[in-house]
Amino acid sequence: MSDKKEINYYILFKTYTQGMALHELLRGNGIRSRISPAPRSIQGELGCGMSLLIMAEDIDAVRRCIEENNAEYHDIVPLENQINPNRHKFC
Amino acid sequence: MIYFDNAATTMRKPQQVTDAVIHAMNSLGNAGRGVHEASLEAARTVYGTRAKLAEFFNAEDAKQIAFTANSTEALNIAIKGVLEPGDHAITTELEHNSVLRPLYEMEEKGVELSIVKSNRTGTIDYDDFEKLIKENTRVIVCTNGSNLTGNLVDVARVGQIARKHGLIFIVDASQTAGVFPIDVQAMNIDILCFTGHKSLLGPQGTGGIYVREGLAVNPLKCGGSGVQTYLKKHPDDMPTALEAGTLNGHGIAGLDAALEYLMETGIDTIREKEQALMWRFYNGIKDIHNIKIYGDFSGTERCPIVTINLGEYDSSDVSDELFVTYGISTRPGAHCAPLMHKALGTVEQGAVRFSFSHYNTEEEVDTAIAALRELTGA
Repeated sequence: MSDKKEINYYILFKTYTQGMALHELLRGNGIRSRISPAPRSIQGELGCGMSLLIMAEDIDAVRRCIEENNAEYHDIVPLENQINPNRHKFC
Repeated sequence: MIYFDNAATTMRKPQQVTDAVIHAMNSLGNAGRGVHEASLEAARTVYGTRAKLAEFFNAEDAKQIAFTANSTEALNIAIKGVLEPGDHAITTELEHNSVLRPLYEMEEKGVELSIVKSNRTGTIDYDDFEKLIKENTRVIVCTNGSNLTGNLVDVARVGQIARKHGLIFIVDASQTAGVFPIDVQAMNIDILCFTGHKSLLGPQGTGGIYVREGLAVNPLKCGGSGVQTYLKKHPDDMPTALEAGTLNGHGIAGLDAALEYLMETGIDTIREKEQALMWRFYNGIKDIHNIKIYGDFSGTERCPIVTINLGEYDSSDVSDELFVTYGISTRPGAHCAPLMHKALGTVEQGAVRFSFSHYNTEEEVDTAIAALRELTGA
């Protein structure tokens, strides 16, 4: 099994409404995203907000969709997937 | 019971509204707080309702709609959030206390206030707005429809005046949202205040405020927002800026179902039914000796309200008699509209208000007409 960690992208928002709006927009365009708690390490001052979790292979399509629709967001942050369920399975 | 107090609240709601509230009370978490399934269901419900309201009023974006508990809260946010001491505001005698009292409070803090007068039928001269505009005028705030007479105000016309002079235009749509078409962009409305429990057919404790994109409104309250926790200042991004604290998610779920009902049924269909009932009632009583009807009935479009008095009887006695003897619910007294009653000359007597829902029937209207005939000895 490879030790290489996956990169996920988190889209951060200033408000929940911005996040819900982009989630709906992406869904309408057939692009995958999952609403996820924003990891504390990348929240900065946003604090306890929601984020959209995007798989690496979808991030270019997401960026295009955002640009084409002038959608609002705070930041897009790449982050290594920190939890490896296989490794921790028997802890 | 025959319920003719729909201008106070529509007592009968679509069944799907009740069902949605019950479902929500068994399944909703806190919208915007966490992202587990229960919270997400609440967030989706809130966002979906926001989007429907934006569509309903033709707002630029769902985020320009913030939820409030009612029109009064929305109007307090609007009036106190844009006026500063030294500003001048214009309103009308048609207003409810939810407009007047926040304005009077701001008057005590140094805001100048001018009030467009009403005539004896409860209508205004639109030229009066322009006559009252001064160098420091910042806001025009007025109702879309009188809760006492049912007379409409042409807000598109007032909106043009406000836009021409660069004024902020605030509209109280308590009596019209849900039954009359409102297009905030076409009507030049900068802030729209509405309640969910009247013609929008939602639960009590729901309402909202539309704020034009780019217009800053100082929030009335601050606190929990679910985002930007470590900032000392409440976020200023809409709608979070105006939504401190947990929303009424259960009520909003009901409002969402109500909006679906309105969109499926069509507000034109609903309005036509309500107005038909109103005209049936009006035509059934207008020639009865000793009944005085207030308001302007010269046009066809008006809120489904008919307000009357019987001779010199105290309006409370009449309303009580209608309920005790005939099982008809009406609203007597002052209706939180002090200046309108002064203009109509009904401060002492009050008036009896009949207000109709599309759920009312012609038979109910005919029962009320017959009751009034008996009471007047006609």
